[in-house]
Amino acid sequence: MLDHYAPEDDATYTGAAFTEGWMRRFAASARATEAQLTALDQRVGDGDFGVNLMAGLDATVTALDAEAAAAPAMPAGDRAGRPLQAAATAFLDGVGGTSGPLFGLLLEELAVAAAGPALDMTALRAGLTGGLAAIQRVGEARPGDKTLVDALYPACEALRVCPAEAGPRAALAHASRAAWEGVRGTARLRARRGRASYVGERATGVPDPGAVGIGLLLSSAGATVTALAPLLADPGTAVPH
Amino acid sequence: MVYFANSPDRMVPDALAGFARVHADLVLHDEPGGFLCARKPSPNRRVGLLSGGGSGHEPLHLGFIGAGMLDAVCPGRLMASPHNRQVLGASRAVARAEGVLHLVKNYTGDRINFGIAAERLAHEGIDCARVLIDDDVASDSAESAAGRRGTGATVLVEKVLGAAADTGLGLHELAALGADLAARCRSIAVASAAHTAPTTGRPAFELADGELEYGVGIHGERARRTVSRPPLGELVGRMTEALLASLGPAPGESVVALVNGLGGVTRLELYGAAHEFTLRLDRRGLTPERILVGDFVTALDMRGFSLTLMRADTETVKWFDAPAYTPAWPR
Repeated sequence: MLDHYAPEDDATYTGAAFTEGWMRRFAASARATEAQLTALDQRVGDGDFGVNLMAGLDATVTALDAEAAAAPAMPAGDRAGRPLQAAATAFLDGVGGTSGPLFGLLLEELAVAAAGPALDMTALRAGLTGGLAAIQRVGEARPGDKTLVDALYPACEALRVCPAEAGPRAALAHASRAAWEGVRGTARLRARRGRASYVGERATGVPDPGAVGIGLLLSSAGATVTALAPLLADPGTAVPH
Repeated sequence: MVYFANSPDRMVPDALAGFARVHADLVLHDEPGGFLCARKPSPNRRVGLLSGGGSGHEPLHLGFIGAGMLDAVCPGRLMASPHNRQVLGASRAVARAEGVLHLVKNYTGDRINFGIAAERLAHEGIDCARVLIDDDVASDSAESAAGRRGTGATVLVEKVLGAAADTGLGLHELAALGADLAARCRSIAVASAAHTAPTTGRPAFELADGELEYGVGIHGERARRTVSRPPLGELVGRMTEALLASLGPAPGESVVALVNGLGGVTRLELYGAAHEFTLRLDRRGLTPERILVGDFVTALDMRGFSLTLMRADTETVKWFDAPAYTPAWPR
């Protein structure tokens, strides 16, 4: 069903049907791993990250369904950012805690950057980098603080060095591998900010759930993630795009 | 349960409904939006002033909505930050030609939620700046990245900035003035009993008879130190010295003083503390130009009080004296 939204016969297509499929796969990935996310967050935070992420994504899917029902045929001139904006608003307006709205900020920057008919390399780089900057302005976390920044920052770096001719879908695959490397790195870190800073050494060895969420977001551009363990063990196994 | 309430969950919504009804001449309550705004805001402002934070600190911030002070307030749940959606909606409602200024007490949750709203306002083309209030000397620590907490000074900053905004200052002028005002304020608080947590009905922390929590915040967190309780004069003397050491006023400098009840102390006790406070300020050659005594920034029913000093030049005192038409400003 979900693949309907990401035509596999054209690997260069990144229009609204692709971004909508991406957001729906992100929801499916979060649903498949929600129990694992909750278990991680119970070790380093207050245990509500999986629930908050799922709340944002359920609201996203509801909004996408409503848009699809209102306009069954995608209109000509549809913006690639439209489904991303639906997700951004769902996260920003509907989710409590702090991580959920921070995901909303990232999605909003992506949505604003993707104002054209396709999510091209320029929009992708501007959106992810702008999202990282917004999250850092608001949350004041730096790389190494054991937060979602530790996955998003290397993903932005991977996008920056990825040659433009690779195209956005291959670039997203590179970014997701870099993000999962970052997720693995958070397990070695002691938290200075964010949820895990309150439990100190007890969080060592556990990857940051917010960073895992960034990994799920980026991997879902290619395919639904059904289990965290392989990605946590070896980011090279990142799902194919 | 110690509190008179239908249930812990109903405390804030019931109080907001009552407040909006009682002060219907001064405030409008946007219940779905989660904010209250001034019914008759100051006409000359170029910038809307907005504050908010967890509930349980009344009359802060609600009591200071109105001409001369705040244009809008976003109350959170009990001692929890408001959602960014409330801040965004309130900002849209009260932004003027030059945008909106957020007055934020320095707590992680408030910083993040006001910050997210500011990012969203930027996307909508509404200019926004922030004044961070961080006056509590007890949380002043080189090791912590979090910085000093925002407490009693909030009401002084809201008053003075409100009057300044009424003179038609622009967004960046007001933000700079606010930063300067916040830097000129210090507070310290003590408690002989914690507030009662509404959900458990138990004190947020336990203290033995004769013990005192020195340097408490307004959210039921313990202070760094528990001390045996000295007589009032000695206690206020120690608090005064802590404020002056951090604030560093010059001899002869003018100050505004606030003696603030945290929710569970009597006016009789607060005036006793005010007596000891002003005695010591006089002795140090510091003139309290204005002195406020009462419950302004509370922590539910905490048995404690805070002292605040603001270094105040002539213009600051003039703005402090300017009229304000709000539910709770006393002058």
